[in-house]
Amino acid sequence: MADLAELKTMIEAALPGAAVKVFDEDGAGQHLRAEVAAPQFAGLSRIDQHRLVKAAVKPRFDDGAIHALSVKTEVA
Amino acid sequence: MADPELKSKVEELICANQVLLFMKGTPDAPRCGFSMRVVQVLDAIDVEYGAIDVLPALQPLREVTAELSDWQTFPQLYVNGELLGGADIVEEMYGSGELAEALGVEQPEAIAVPADSLPAQSPPLQIE
Repeated sequence: MADLAELKTMIEAALPGAAVKVFDEDGAGQHLRAEVAAPQFAGLSRIDQHRLVKAAVKPRFDDGAIHALSVKTEVA
Repeated sequence: MADPELKSKVEELICANQVLLFMKGTPDAPRCGFSMRVVQVLDAIDVEYGAIDVLPALQPLREVTAELSDWQTFPQLYVNGELLGGADIVEEMYGSGELAEALGVEQPEAIAVPADSLPAQSPPLQIE
């Protein structure tokens, strides 16, 4: 089962200074959504911004705690 | 470690197709909502594209794209040899007009495309 607070902490740890929101869109932990505004995104393509977010939570994909994470990024 | 033969085949396809979509199912019969969303955007923007159904070889293709593009989920849209993104990024870039710019086409005036101007679908490519 996905731990939303832990995911938020993992993203914040990878991107210090970022504003992070994590939502459980279906209430069952199957469709998660992260909105991340980070200064580190400046000058990066969208795909690279998303790579940073996905990399931050990769351990939870690897251990099967989460299956899908929809990501929305913006430069803070 | 990805199958080297499959990896070089995928690299060839990405090079040979200016716009290439790796998706679950086919453009006519998408088998996943995220893949369907990307197909709808590409149809609305009226661009020719190649499509590959990843379902017959899902895990081997995941390993290939993880190595090539550091990305393991499908759909994946490649433009001019580079991974542009999955459904979230494609939709966001469509909404902002960046997708039309990346594809070198005009942003459609309206989201809905008249039925009589629907583009001919590119045939899906197959990986043996």
